[in-house]
Amino acid sequence: MMNVLKKILVHRKYPGLIVRHGYATTKKKIPDGSEENLPIFQYPLSKSSDRRVYVWGFAETGALGIHLPRGKRAKKGYKNNFTLAWHPMRSTFGERFDVTDIACGYGFTVASIKTNEHHKVFGTGINTDSQIGYHAPRIGHPLELLLSPAPMYIPYKSLESKIIGVSAGRAHTAILTDNEGVYTLGNNAYGQCGRKINKNEEYKGSMVTHNISRLGKEVITNVCCGQDHTLFITESGRVYASGWGADGQTGLGNYENQGVPAPVKGDITSEKIVKVASTVDCVLALNDKGELFGWGNSEYGQVPMSVKQQQVNMSYALVNFTKGIGKIKDIAAGGSFCLIVNEQGDVFVWGYGLLGLGPNVQHSTKPKVIPAPLFGRNEFNPESAVEKVACGIGHLAAITNNGDLYMWGRNRYGCLGLGHSKDQYFPLRVSVGALVLKVVCGVDHTIVLSKPYL
Amino acid sequence: MSIGDRYLTVLGNWTYTDLLSEMQKLQLTLAIIKPHAIKNPVALSYIRQVIKNKFIVIKTKRTSLDVETAGKFYKEHVGKFFYNRLVTFMASGCIDLHVMGHTNAIELWRGLLGPTSVYKGQFQEPYCLRGMFGISDTRNVAHGSDSLASAEREIKFFFPDFSFYEWHSNDEAFFRKGPIIFNNHIFQHVRRL
Repeated sequence: MMNVLKKILVHRKYPGLIVRHGYATTKKKIPDGSEENLPIFQYPLSKSSDRRVYVWGFAETGALGIHLPRGKRAKKGYKNNFTLAWHPMRSTFGERFDVTDIACGYGFTVASIKTNEHHKVFGTGINTDSQIGYHAPRIGHPLELLLSPAPMYIPYKSLESKIIGVSAGRAHTAILTDNEGVYTLGNNAYGQCGRKINKNEEYKGSMVTHNISRLGKEVITNVCCGQDHTLFITESGRVYASGWGADGQTGLGNYENQGVPAPVKGDITSEKIVKVASTVDCVLALNDKGELFGWGNSEYGQVPMSVKQQQVNMSYALVNFTKGIGKIKDIAAGGSFCLIVNEQGDVFVWGYGLLGLGPNVQHSTKPKVIPAPLFGRNEFNPESAVEKVACGIGHLAAITNNGDLYMWGRNRYGCLGLGHSKDQYFPLRVSVGALVLKVVCGVDHTIVLSKPYL
Repeated sequence: MSIGDRYLTVLGNWTYTDLLSEMQKLQLTLAIIKPHAIKNPVALSYIRQVIKNKFIVIKTKRTSLDVETAGKFYKEHVGKFFYNRLVTFMASGCIDLHVMGHTNAIELWRGLLGPTSVYKGQFQEPYCLRGMFGISDTRNVAHGSDSLASAEREIKFFFPDFSFYEWHSNDEAFFRKGPIIFNNHIFQHVRRL
């Protein structure tokens, strides 16, 4: 007994004393045929349905859904008290659930997951208008700020219905289901939730959810939220709008607030619209032939009409304006600029701001192409082409067919994810460690839905 | 001849101390925190921190406007293209009103806010309040009076009971010299007991 104890003690003190053959000798021969017997460790490969979520930008609002509780006694407890994420951070929420879609609002984030249970949508961030539901740890004291994702209660009629899209504005959320229409919640001061405006409604701690099952007897296939308005696309490609119309962003031919969604007037009435894009007050729409339409705020020439107008209150065809660009594939409308990509994968931009054409803040009245080599098209990668684009208020993003994400523009709170807070004058690749499928830009944060490389 | 003497000769019946106190008298301005900033707790706490550290807060009120009142308040903008937009925005939620004092209140508050247009100003002054928290040219965080006359009109508009004459003759010296302390609950400076 004593001997064993002694041995252990000695071993601890002088580990070299007992282990004599700790090094390889020439005498030892590695047998040839026994390699088949060695176990081969199979590293886990991801399934094709696996998704990863990366987040970056302003973290104080809780919109990133990453909450590192500060240790009380920890020596460097302040390290967990982070306000910004400069670089893409992998979200643990995305590992726990199969995230299908994500939307970023003003300081909050909404994500839908694949599940048959009741909680299909999660939200995190600012909740002063109940835009991510009612969350009260104590009855009567609803939370104004959520630091990590919490399930949102929505009165679905059946558990089988699936969430096919989410969208978020300044203080409202729209959730699109496959056979129950759209559920909206949050602020309705302008009618952006698609219901009648009640002047004295209290939004903090509200449990109201509104369901728009059909519009014009048609199924809703797509929903897009601007800051204070909402746009719906139905099966046949018609666009309905509700919310703030002071810039004409509802496209209803007036400048009034609209409670119940109404069909957008003007040039798109006879078109089949497949996508609408709106971040602030300017709206772009794309039809099935790849032609562009626009309405809403045009102070910086986002929707250039033949007679210059600052507020376009009806949809206007931009076919002549985009002549020579070809079929347009994807669109995005920022605060003071617009961004489109054509079938060849070339990116065009116009409006005011840091457009990605050089170090000067500039105004462009015509669509200008951003040189394709900036998005990685060169002699070694001649096939590289931009496929999707997205816009925040002052920052822009593009995804190539290789799954690379490029960002540029105003870098508010590090929302470009480039590791610094300086403005970026030309597109630069963001180091996301996965194939980017979708990028969503909020006001001061950005979220990416991606697929692992392996 | 000292500086004081020189002033005495220039000013006639004014004394040097009179002039100094006239220069250092508190100026009043009105700050209105707009609805979208009220709804963002992070932005609101930052703005409030700036206000309470830079100014003497005389009065604070949270209110919500209807379209008619907001229209009356912005009557100098009637006819401009953004008038309807501004009025409907101001009527869309709660706003915070702060009457603030400082020897150079109007200029200081407008300097802290930064350029009116967020889209243009965010590149010139990225770290002013509007550059940090503004969303669009209308949703530009806060309003600040642009001159002495408009400050008086705007404070009278929201605080009809507030008497400028009485404040300047009675309370001004007290707020300037103290002792005052900041009360976080009512968000005002009050007499230190």
